[in-house]
Amino acid sequence: MKRMNIMRIKKIMRSCGAFLLAGLVLATAAPLRAEASSLPYQSYNYTYREDIVYTPAPYEPLKTVSGQDLTLDGEPIGPFVSPQDLCKSPTGDIYIADTGNNRIVVVDSTVSHVRRIITTFDNNGTEDAFKQPYGVAVSETNQLYVADSQNHRVVVLNEDGTLARIVENPQAEVLDAGFVFVPLKVSVDYADRVYCIAQNMFEGIMVFETNGEFTGFFGTISVDISLWEKFWRKIATKEERSNSQLFIPTEFTGIDIDPDGFVYASNIDANGLQGVRRLNPRGEDVIKKGVSGNLGGDLQIDGTTDYAGPSQFTDVVYRENGIYSCLDRRRGRIFTYDHEGNLLYIFGGMGSQSGTFQMPVAVENIGSDMVVLDANNANITFFKETEYGRLINQAVGLRYDGDEAEAVALWQRVLELDENNELANTGIGKAYLTAGDYEQAMKYLKLGMARDYYSVAYKRYRNDMLTQNANLFLTVIIVLVIAWVVWRQVSKRKGITLFKKKQKVRRGGGLNA
Amino acid sequence: MRKYFSKEKWSYMFYTITHPMDGYYWIRHADRGSVPLAILMVVLFSACFTANRLLASFVVNDLDPRGVDSLYELLGVLAFYLLLCVSNWSITCLMNGEGRMKDIAIAVGYGTVPITIVLAAATVISQFVADDEQAFYTLLIAVGIAYGVIMILIGIMQVHNYTLGKTLLTLFLTFVALLIIIFLILLLTNLLGMVFNFFRSIYTEIIFRT
Repeated sequence: MKRMNIMRIKKIMRSCGAFLLAGLVLATAAPLRAEASSLPYQSYNYTYREDIVYTPAPYEPLKTVSGQDLTLDGEPIGPFVSPQDLCKSPTGDIYIADTGNNRIVVVDSTVSHVRRIITTFDNNGTEDAFKQPYGVAVSETNQLYVADSQNHRVVVLNEDGTLARIVENPQAEVLDAGFVFVPLKVSVDYADRVYCIAQNMFEGIMVFETNGEFTGFFGTISVDISLWEKFWRKIATKEERSNSQLFIPTEFTGIDIDPDGFVYASNIDANGLQGVRRLNPRGEDVIKKGVSGNLGGDLQIDGTTDYAGPSQFTDVVYRENGIYSCLDRRRGRIFTYDHEGNLLYIFGGMGSQSGTFQMPVAVENIGSDMVVLDANNANITFFKETEYGRLINQAVGLRYDGDEAEAVALWQRVLELDENNELANTGIGKAYLTAGDYEQAMKYLKLGMARDYYSVAYKRYRNDMLTQNANLFLTVIIVLVIAWVVWRQVSKRKGITLFKKKQKVRRGGGLNA
Repeated sequence: MRKYFSKEKWSYMFYTITHPMDGYYWIRHADRGSVPLAILMVVLFSACFTANRLLASFVVNDLDPRGVDSLYELLGVLAFYLLLCVSNWSITCLMNGEGRMKDIAIAVGYGTVPITIVLAAATVISQFVADDEQAFYTLLIAVGIAYGVIMILIGIMQVHNYTLGKTLLTLFLTFVALLIIIFLILLLTNLLGMVFNFFRSIYTEIIFRT
């Protein structure tokens, strides 16, 4: 009886302890959860199995700046009207294409001081102005390139505001006779070649040489028509064919150029498979796709609402160490990939809170911040790197440079913040692989779902096992062979059989059964 | 029970696997086979199939283990086995087949044995395979499946005393019959559901009328 009582008390005590522990866990977890939900968006990533996993935020909103907040020499500059593009210069200034106000606003890197506002320039003695300047770019020599869309030209200005040259009226046989040049986005490489995305120009990015001559199209996206569609077109009548949809390649939406001269261009893919390209100097797409083979933003895109459907990349920015970010205008998210095409993290969203967008049009990175321009809100949102984002950026950077071992500490910290992070597990596994600890490498590479590296690790592990235990294996085999020979000799002499002699199965059994 | 799983039945099953032509002939004409043993083989096949999907090593296995449900797969395999036997029987009855239902069940059941063995072996072997040796693994499974299919083909041929051409024809018709059976089952369940709903709505009407 007494013993029963003691048992019961122990039981109660134990359950009390469990409650206490649970309470403690909840108490410590609660503020963390509150902190996470204070952001206006959820950060997530896709696993190998294309499931959504929520991650800590890689970036969090820092501030939003609109035209009303800015003054030039004490005078307010007034709100932006439908700004369409922004870019950073080598000196750190930010150029904003204030499209609706027909001006370019130059601000410092924190967007707190206006450096100058460019509305007019001296065009060979006459004063000239912009009409709907849609895109801006700054070259390495600090020249400003403005896609002056409704004046059908690209204006190039020197740093002091004087006119350097004007690129207009492209002439080539490949262009239709009635073609009107409406430049929307513009970018410039180290040789001052101008890459321009023009309206209704499906052939690709238009390239202009330094002297302003149009040299051709770049990075044409080929249309792939499936066999099935070809078949239907074949049997369709002429009338039906003319009524059916034209197969036109997608238009590019944004460009950026990396220091090596490779062009990153975003485009809208109706299938959501590839929304960004990396074009080599010959205009071929050389981008690497990750394990998922997808560079199109969201993977779970089913649904019939306006909010569903594939992501629509409207701009791309090359950051550093092979990392680039794409801006999705459908759901206002920023997708960041590394040079191997792995999706690093996703953040941002649509909404009216600070840190969300109505109509995001351009993305840029300034220092460690990410900056997004919203045309509808007419403001600029700054996103600050969190610890999670910084760790991933640094670790990917180290891997890009080949310092896998150095990245391990960072990946380990990432795992503390986001356990099961596949990139982190793979990173650690690869470091173990180079260090020669194959067993640990296998463990982490399996968690990271890196099948090919796992296989390499396994192969080396297997070789190690075989060479280390070669003596044992050979000894066992020899002993077994000798034992068998001896047994046969002995059993033959003494007439012992281990098994009863197998009855031969009766062929044609039914007859002699 | 002992009768169905006797040593003689087991050894005759293995004899059939190595000598399908002769083996199946005497299964039909001298009752050397055993239906419960055949069903056991199908269950084992299902188990090995699931085990292969779940336990094959990471290098060769790209399946999401959360999507593998052994019980569900067992039911699926058994249902397919039943459907196959029934539809084959109903077709061969009309086409002068000599086989009885139990012969068809044994023919198909024994035919799964090579696949079962190969799947089990491949699951073990996969633990020692690297990426570039994957071809061996795939080849092994392919050979096993081919052997199993040929065995089933010979089994059907022998128990019904058909030529090869007629066997292939009946197999094609068997699949048509299978689809028809599935269609009828769906139709039946749908209609029964309607009847059930009708009586249930009468019941609720009466309940709420008071």
